[in-house]
Amino acid sequence: MFKKVLIANRGEIAIRVTRTLRELGITSVAVYSDADRNGLHVLLADEAYHIGPAPSAQSYLNIEKILEVAKKAGAEAIHPGYGFLSESAEFARAVKAAGLTFIGPTVENILAMGDKLASRELMKKAGVPTVPGSEGSIRDADEAAQEAEKIGYPVILKASAGGGGKGIRVVHEPKELPSAFRTCQSEGKNYFKDDRVFIERFVQNPKHIEVQVFGDTHGNVVHLYERECSMQRRHQKLIEESPSISVPLDVREKLGEVAVRAAKSIQYVGAGTIEFIFDNKTKEFFFMEMNTRLQVEHPVTELVVGYDLVKEQIMVALGEPLSFKQSDVRQKGHAIELRICAEDPVTFTPNPGKIRKYRMPAGPFVRVDNCAYPGYDVPIYYDPMIAKLIVWGPTRTECIQRLQRALAEYMLTGIKSNIVLHKNILVHPEFLEGTYTTQFIDQQIAGKKHRELFMFVDEPVFLIAAAIEAYNQSKSRDVGDYTLASQWKRYGRQKSMRN
Amino acid sequence: MYFEAESEGVHYQVSVSESKTHWKVGMRQDENDWNYFEISKEDYRYLDDTVSFIFKDSSYLIDVISKGTDYTVYTRGAYKTFNIYNEEALLHESLKAGGGLGAGNELVSGMPGKIVKVFVKPGDKLNQGDPILIMEAMKMENEMRAVSPVCIKEILVKEGENVESGATLVTFSKES
Repeated sequence: MFKKVLIANRGEIAIRVTRTLRELGITSVAVYSDADRNGLHVLLADEAYHIGPAPSAQSYLNIEKILEVAKKAGAEAIHPGYGFLSESAEFARAVKAAGLTFIGPTVENILAMGDKLASRELMKKAGVPTVPGSEGSIRDADEAAQEAEKIGYPVILKASAGGGGKGIRVVHEPKELPSAFRTCQSEGKNYFKDDRVFIERFVQNPKHIEVQVFGDTHGNVVHLYERECSMQRRHQKLIEESPSISVPLDVREKLGEVAVRAAKSIQYVGAGTIEFIFDNKTKEFFFMEMNTRLQVEHPVTELVVGYDLVKEQIMVALGEPLSFKQSDVRQKGHAIELRICAEDPVTFTPNPGKIRKYRMPAGPFVRVDNCAYPGYDVPIYYDPMIAKLIVWGPTRTECIQRLQRALAEYMLTGIKSNIVLHKNILVHPEFLEGTYTTQFIDQQIAGKKHRELFMFVDEPVFLIAAAIEAYNQSKSRDVGDYTLASQWKRYGRQKSMRN
Repeated sequence: MYFEAESEGVHYQVSVSESKTHWKVGMRQDENDWNYFEISKEDYRYLDDTVSFIFKDSSYLIDVISKGTDYTVYTRGAYKTFNIYNEEALLHESLKAGGGLGAGNELVSGMPGKIVKVFVKPGDKLNQGDPILIMEAMKMENEMRAVSPVCIKEILVKEGENVESGATLVTFSKES
């Protein structure tokens, strides 16, 4: 067993990893930037080291500095969490070169899946279904038009290295194609230093279904069933659940088989996720990409299958075989995760700042992976996600009821959050029926007024509370010349109203 | 106590009074009728600095954060910010409103007060932003300035004089 492990990350995932390390008796080492001295991950870890200024490039992405700290602390292994350096082959290689263990896949695994275009070719060869599309990257707008005719509109253009909503364009008609191609290419070039673009069929009414896979160094690869992550805003996930209500039994088995085949074809080691685009009408699924890391939404799988995925990652990194076989893996009940973000619930603009009141839900089968606390200042430099609320129930219906209950307990003041957005989604018929697609937010929420989302509050409550507060403040300030006050009061009021 | 409130372009008039056992909050949106809410202090209580408010049998946990004249109310994941002027702030606003010289042909006092200092004499030509006089009201001194170039015609007040609201203080003609 490792004695000491460094976590090259921040926020809730650093805390999540710390928890398993402690359960295994491993000393946990946190790292932090200038902006994170008060981060909960620092407060909860056994050891903590400063690694640089607030911008990620100079701290959480600074390979040299992180390795220097790992050596100084005497850590034997590094867990990268998600994001930051988790899918950097360069980092995985550097960790190995420094004589430490990278808790994650092999450098070859990361490289094989790091390039969207190359990974799709690889998957095609392994017999994994992919969306009909161009064989390779497209040279120019003319070639794009030819390919689009072959595939059939609508089509989607993607920068090879694109992601997070950047470098992606949907084209419904031929006349939109040339400008979409140009912007896609330039975004790829500007954001990812890669101007290759490919084109494929745009699946309508699409769902995002992914399969959790796990491999070890003994050649075992298993899957832990699917997660549905169709609830997205700005191409980023908001709600994840397992199992997916839209996947029939036979398709579920097939999804698992295909995912295992995909992972085996690259001798995958550790936790990984194979993302599919799922056609809810035809129940077809197509390979999108593989994420060679632990996912944000791994807890829904943990709650449904009952394994600690971080623990498995650590054991696999130690060279142990997986603690379970495919035949041991059973889906039990239903789990849903909500991402709680410091952002405007309608515009999704991040809203970092100081949290005043903070109380998390609790009670039966409620888990909160959290990094906030009262008085915590959400930094502007990183992802606005501050917590994940994950709930389990024996059925999807009970799970949703429990989530509604848990959300009602959640109190967060001082900054805007998307808690109220979740409340609205959880009572929406499309979510309740499970027919929602990745277009849900655009179609059902975008363009709504804040007032509509705040339907859980009786309108006068706001002004009554504000007025009583204003009254109390002015009473405590008052020095008391009421006679004069009453004279000018009326005049001042009228004047002010006129302007 | 009387307030003016504004949120997202909607104006409210608000009155708040308290007795030993109750709050009485009146609100009026634009020119609509007044709505009064009689709230038992049992139903609106401070727990630490969070408020527990039982309104129409519904239990709200409320946090109000104030910053200057902004009051943001957070409850049930929803939030709303009001710009609330109490009487003191209203005075400020109306002084500013009435104190601009150059809009009409005379400077009128926005409210009762005392002239502390007069900077000009008849015939003075002023540029925009030049001070005219200082008037004190509610223990605050407010400097009134010209909002456009003017020529002072007549000064109708003396330093130390008390003036009523609406009194003409200075007359002038506009300079182009």
